[in-house]
Order: sequence, then C-alpha cells, then structure tokens
Amino acid sequence: MRWVKRHLLPAYAVLAFCYLLLPIAVVIAFSFNAPSGRFNYVWEGFTLDNWVNWDAPPGIQSAVVKSLEIGMLSTILATALGTLLALAIVRHQFRGRGATNMLIFLPMSTPEIVLGASLLTLFLNRQVVTGFGTIFIAHVMFIVSYVVVTVKARLIDFDRHLEEAAMDLGANEWVTFRKVTLPLLAPAILSAALLGFALSIDDFVITYFVSGPTQTFPLFVWGAARVAVPPQVNVVASAIFLVAVLIMIGNVIWGLRGRRAREESMPPAVPLPEQLHQPEAA
Amino acid sequence: MTMRMTRRQLVQRGAAGATLLSLPNLLAACGGGGGGGGGGELADTLRFSNWPLYIDFDEKTKQHPTLDEFTAKTGIKVDYFEDINSNAEYFGKIQRPLSQGNSIDRDIIVLTDNERFLGLMIDKGWVEELDKDLIPNISNLIDAQKSPPFDPDRTYSLPWQSGMTGIAWNEKETGPVTSITQLFEDPKLKGKVTALNGMGDTPPLVMLDNGDDPASVTDATWTAAIDRIQAAVDSGQIRRFTGNDYAQPLSQGDLAAAIAWSGDIYQLLSSNPSLRWALPTKGGVIWTDNMIIPTGGSAPTASTFMNFVYDPKIAAQIAAYVAYVPPVKGTQEILAKTDPKMASSELVFPSDATLANAHQFDSKALNNQTYVEQWQKVLGA
Amino acid sequence: MSFLHRHKGLTPYLLLLPGIVWLMLFFVAPLGFLGYQSLQTGTFDTGYTFDWAFSNYWDAISDYHEQFVRSFVYAGIATILALLVSYPLVYWIAFRAGRWKNVCLILIVAPLFVTYLVRTLAWLNILADEGPVVGFLRDIHVLGPDGRLLATSVAVVAGITYNFLPFMALPVYVSLEQIDARLLEAAEDLYASKRQAFLRVTLPLSAPGIVAGTLLTFIPAAGDFINAQLLGTPNQYMVGNVIQSKFLDVLDYPSAAALSFILMALILVGLLGYARAVGTERLTG
Repeated sequence: MRWVKRHLLPAYAVLAFCYLLLPIAVVIAFSFNAPSGRFNYVWEGFTLDNWVNWDAPPGIQSAVVKSLEIGMLSTILATALGTLLALAIVRHQFRGRGATNMLIFLPMSTPEIVLGASLLTLFLNRQVVTGFGTIFIAHVMFIVSYVVVTVKARLIDFDRHLEEAAMDLGANEWVTFRKVTLPLLAPAILSAALLGFALSIDDFVITYFVSGPTQTFPLFVWGAARVAVPPQVNVVASAIFLVAVLIMIGNVIWGLRGRRAREESMPPAVPLPEQLHQPEAA
Repeated sequence: MTMRMTRRQLVQRGAAGATLLSLPNLLAACGGGGGGGGGGELADTLRFSNWPLYIDFDEKTKQHPTLDEFTAKTGIKVDYFEDINSNAEYFGKIQRPLSQGNSIDRDIIVLTDNERFLGLMIDKGWVEELDKDLIPNISNLIDAQKSPPFDPDRTYSLPWQSGMTGIAWNEKETGPVTSITQLFEDPKLKGKVTALNGMGDTPPLVMLDNGDDPASVTDATWTAAIDRIQAAVDSGQIRRFTGNDYAQPLSQGDLAAAIAWSGDIYQLLSSNPSLRWALPTKGGVIWTDNMIIPTGGSAPTASTFMNFVYDPKIAAQIAAYVAYVPPVKGTQEILAKTDPKMASSELVFPSDATLANAHQFDSKALNNQTYVEQWQKVLGA
Repeated sequence: MSFLHRHKGLTPYLLLLPGIVWLMLFFVAPLGFLGYQSLQTGTFDTGYTFDWAFSNYWDAISDYHEQFVRSFVYAGIATILALLVSYPLVYWIAFRAGRWKNVCLILIVAPLFVTYLVRTLAWLNILADEGPVVGFLRDIHVLGPDGRLLATSVAVVAGITYNFLPFMALPVYVSLEQIDARLLEAAEDLYASKRQAFLRVTLPLSAPGIVAGTLLTFIPAAGDFINAQLLGTPNQYMVGNVIQSKFLDVLDYPSAAALSFILMALILVGLLGYARAVGTERLTG
C-alpha cells in the first residue's frame, strides 16, 4: 500500500503526459508517412523523404520562418510589457487600479473575428500597410493579457523580505530588482513567455485579417487544408515541438556541466573540520 | 494580337502604366464602378490572389511554370499570393476597402460561384470589366460555362477551375449511395453521413431530389429543401456539417457516405481505393472558381493573363497539377498524351451526360438574406 | 534612481505606460469602432447607418441565449476538468521533478506549438469510431455498440479542455513552484498529516495560481468556436460560432458586434462575482 501511495503521483504524471503527448506522437508518426495523394490520412508506408524535402510545398519555408520570427519578437515585447504591468498592478496603489485590472481581461474575452476585423479597419483608416508589422502589433496586443495574469500569480504572494534584506545590505532598488526580484520571478516570466509564444505561433483568425500578403505557418496550413494536408506540415510541426524540447533539455545538461565544472575548480573555502583536528603526521 | 509588340515597347508601356496606376487620381477614376478598367495600360506586374495549391508548381525548381512562362512571353512579372482559403474569410478581409471604393492591390482574385460573395461583388460593382479584346482565347471556354446566371455575358468573370458536388461513399461501409433520399433516410446510414455546410452545395442537391430546379429558387422550393435537411439533422441521420473535413472520417470509416467535392475524392482515391463518388442520379451541382478583377485592378494586365491560361496547352499544364475540372476546350486531348489516367477520369473530365446532370445554383438565392439566415440556423448558428 | 526616489508616485505610471499605451492604441481603439458598429442598423445591401440601435443587443440575447448558456457551461466544465487533470501533474513537477522542471513545462506547452488543425486531425485519428479508444469504451459498455465519441458534446468539451490545459497548468505551476518546501516540513513537524498539510498549506498557497489558471482558461474558452466547428454538430454550436456566422456568412456586422459585447459584458460580470467569491486580493494582490 505504501509502495502504491508513493508511486501514485509519478504514475499519474506519466499518464497525464501520455494524454498530453498522444496526439503529438501521432503527428510525428504521420510525418514519416508516404501518402500517394495530397492528403495524409491513411498510413501507407514509411519514408524519410518528407524530412529531407521538408520545404517541398510552395510557401511552407517562408511561412515557418515568419511564424518563428513573429513568435519570438512578439513574445519578448509582450512579456516585457506584461511584466511591467503586473508589477504596477500588484505592488502599487494608483488611481484606476481596479479599472486597469479589468481592462487586462478584455482582450482575452473578445472574439478574435471581430477583434481582427476591427483592427484591420483601424489599420486601413490610418493607412497602415498590413504585413509583418501589423501581425507583430496584433500578437503583442493579445499576448500581454496572458503575461500579466501569469506573472501576477507569482507576484501576489511574493515574499518581499528577501528584497528588503537585499536593500538592508546596501543594494539600491535597481540592483535589488535585477539580482533578487527578477531571478525569483523567472519561472513565472518563463511560463508567461512560453504561453505567449504558443499563442502567437498558433494564431489564425486575427493574423488572417491583419496579415496582408504575409503568410504565417497557421495561415499556410489552414489555406492548404482545402486541397491537401502535405506530410511536410507534420514535419514542420514536429520539428518545432522537438527543437523546443531539446533546447530545454540542453539547458539542463549545460547547467549540470557548469555546476560540476565550478565545483571541481574551486578549492574548499574553509578548511574541513577533519583537517583542523588531525594531528600532523610525523 | 497585342503580343506582336516588341519586348521593349511592352516594358516601356508597362512602366508608364505602372506610374499612372499609382496616382490616386486614377484609383479614384477606376474605383467604385465596373466601367473602363485601370487606365488601359499594361502594368509591369500582375498581382494575383488565388487559393493554395491551385496552380502548377515544380517541386524541383520551386517555381510555378505557368507563371514563369507568362512572364517570359509578355514581360509582365507575377506577384502570386495564395491567401484565399475561404470565400467568406477572404471577403471579410477585403470588403471594407472595397466598400469605400479603394483598391485592394490585386488585379485578379478567385472566388467561387456557389457562395454569395462572387455575385455580391459583381452586383455591388466592386469589379472591373474584362478587356475582351485582349482575350481572344475566350472562345475556348466550354459551352456549359458561357452564360452563368450571375454574369450572363461574361463581362466581369472567367472560370479558373470547376468542381462538382455529389455524394461520396466508402465501399467498405456501404453499397452505392445514389440519391439524397438514400443519404437522408436509409436507416443503415444513420449517423454515418455528413453534409456540406455550403449553402450552394447541400440545399441544391436536396432541391434536385425533390424534383425542383435549383437554378430558380422560390420560397416554396427553398422551404421544402430546408425542412428536409433539418429533419435529417434532428433525426441524427446527418452526423454533422463539414467543409472539406469529411475527408479524414470518410477515409477512416467513421462515415459511410458524405456530400463531397469531386476534387477531394480524386486526391483521396490513391490512398483509399474503396472510395467512390458520383453525382446523385437526380442531379448534382457544378461550381466554378472564377477569376475577377477587383476595383482598382488593371484590366488589361489581368485580361492578358486570362487569355494566356485559356490556351489549351497551358490549361492542360495547370489541370495536370490541380486535378479539378478545367474550363478550357481541348485540355483533355492534350492531357491524354502526358497523363492518360487523369484524362480519362470522370472526376476531372466529366462526360457530357454527367455535365448535363450538373446544375448551377440560383445566384440570387445565395444573396437572399432570409434564406441565408435560415441556412445558418440549420447549421446551428 | 534619485529621480524615482523623489517622484515615488510616478513609478506605477511609468511601469504601466508602455503596456497601457499599446492596449489603448491597438485594442481599445478597434473596440470603439466595434461598439459603434454594434449600434448600427441596416443590411449589407442597403448599407449601415448609426442609429443607437440598442435593439441589436436585445435581439442578440433573445435569439441566442441558448448558445450563450451552452458556451458558459462548456467553458466551465472544461475549466474544471483542466484544473483536475493538471493540478496533480504540476504538483509533481513543482515538488518532485528537480532540475527537469523546465523540460516538463515545455512538454506541457509544446503541444500548442503544433498547429491546431494538425493536433485535431490527430485526435480525429485517435478517437475514430473504429479506433482503439472507442473500441475499448464499447467493450466496457461505457458506449453503446454504435456509440461514438466524435461529433458529440463530449468531443467538443474534451477538445476545449485539451487545448486550454497548458493555460491552466502553467499559472498553477507558477504558484506551486514558489512554495518553500520547508513550510511543508514544518507542518509535518507540527503533526499534520500529509492530507492536512496539503489542504491547509499547499492548496491555499497555490490559490493565486488556481485563480489565474481558471481565468486564462475560462475566458477564452467561452468565446471559442473552432472546437465546436470541427468536433461538433449544430447542437454544440457556441456563441463564437454564431459570431463567426454573423460576421462572415450573414454579413450582419452590427449583430456580430453586439453579440461580442454581450459576451464580454457577461464575462466581466462573472469576473466581478468571481473576485468577490475568492477575495479581490487574489485577483489584484
């Protein structure tokens, strides 16, 4: 019984991951399919050809590149803006605090189709040419809210004693922020950034309206879907997934190696007690 | 004809045309009406918006052979955009500037005639007239397409490719499904059938099954069709309404039959030989993706391109890749030499008997607001 | 830094400025136009005129209250399911995954990097009528012999849950991760059982994350349309689908706008009620 109890949680975690990743496994599996027609619905045979010729469908390469560029840029800016907003809302009293808090939730609750169309109207009225820039603007706009809510979750019960201690020890506010606050907020900021990137890289409706001639990966996929689902779509999707996971794994391994190197290269700062009390050998 | 001019003359004219075209005055002059077309000069670039995977593409060179050949022949560059993925969504994107009389920076866009938007654009005057002097190959247009209800004289539009709406079935799941009656009422098919969510796809098929003419819809015939479809939904016979997402469930056996497009089935056949498609015996629908010139587009440039793709050799080249029904006479014979399998496929080159059984939907009905709302209600909205 | 010392009151406004300006320009302004549209009358054919047509709102509620209710029910169920599924998972990640925490986080979020259509096609494959999952459920008599999972409410809610799971999981993780393990040790030293330690220490401390997660899941889910469109029948259509239809097919822009504002208003009202229930500090800190 003890054994079951101890292993219940990890077993659940495994099951939960299976549930989350099962469709992804299917996606990856079908990226190796060799369909004879334009649709990739029936398994017909294994091939590495799709991975080798991943950019065979016209337009897929530039679409992926655009999606990744927009994703990273908009995530970075939105995370920055959102973190600042969260800090302001949680840590300061100011007029309009309640209203600002409510305002943050509005973009999430607005259906994308009307938001996209209205945003396009705005751009048209101001004679802004639609394209990469307008997609970037729109993405930052709808990602900010998610960042604010996620970072706030961390800030609300944030233990300020550590910051107070740092300042007692002579750090000014900026240094405290950089060396105490930000590192402690890092998991929240990372989570917010991951969610933001996910929102950007998978957005279709708003992007469709404000994209002008620019094609992002979701636009490509939904557009092509009327006549084809080329296996290269699975390849690109799988690749993005795998690269993200590998980057994180790489991060861990690099951190491990760094720690071991540091431990090995540093002499003990303080003599070990045994060394102090050992009589000198004659 | 006009191709006789030297390359240099063409480029010079093109350059002059492009400068003229960029002046706001000219846009204002061309905007908001079907008259005249953009200035009479050939531009140096053709801006063409189309559906994805709807023109030939060479995977080795990563180019579109037809477009390259066009540029080589006329000196006009082609900016090709594959940004139309649905009539409704594309229209939603372009309606605002067009409604204000502004150009959308395209010379040719492609919309489908069994949805409301093509007819709407023509009715509202958001299109330029074709320059038929530049399209002598228009005589190659197949007879069935010469006079569609929304553009009886082909003043504004020319077909790009056509397709048919009929019934597809999976032989492993059921015997042939040849009528709407069977689709909607056969208890063996209950819950294993889907219908298309297009107003110009499912209702006309039902009307034909009722013995009514979909080319001239009346309130009575419309209501009869709608009621029948609603009954099939309520009874659970129709599993759901789909766009082309019937393809996967049909392939994997979740569906026994579906109202489906011919082009999809042609593509699915090689992976799934047990699929079959046919027009219902009482008649099906033929729909056409049409090229039109939106407000502010350059009619001469667009017309030159249209003439180019109405050459049977070019049409065959496009058809070989796209595998939908080409609108150009003579394509089948040329294709028979390079791809006899496709040339003999009923799905790509329907016989005259099939064509006689394929009808077009009343374009006025498509824009009847009451009908539209009633159809959306059936869909669940 | 001394500028900020002297003008301490300015700090919040400086922090707010860039984000608020962005939202003002690119969200509030378009929203204003949308509001204007919602009060227009007319049809696409005859053109629209501004008319203070509040009747649009009334018509929207009376015609589509069924879809509104359904949207909130589906979003609510999906949110609860997402919480139940993800809480134990992120608990394990926060307390037991050690240095592999970030890898686990990525494994939760990265499925969202795979385009929605491709993910859903995979689910269509997995949950096929003749597939292993449905077969198993038929064998154990959860489903009838002709039963199916796809094209049902179950499929739509499951789709919403799956696609919003990371939006629940990550904020909850953020809250759990900062809990000092020594607090739990202290609780146990004070003779709390594991269950008590969880209920009286961990759960309350993770409350901000739970609140954040439920908001990030429920609010966008209520306006979702794509899951119902690909996985459902007309009986599963939500408000998002109605708005899509009004905008794209019926070309009734005032209706679409009015429906959108009603959705937003209902969500805001819900938010205020939620804030009162959980305590406003949980929402604002």
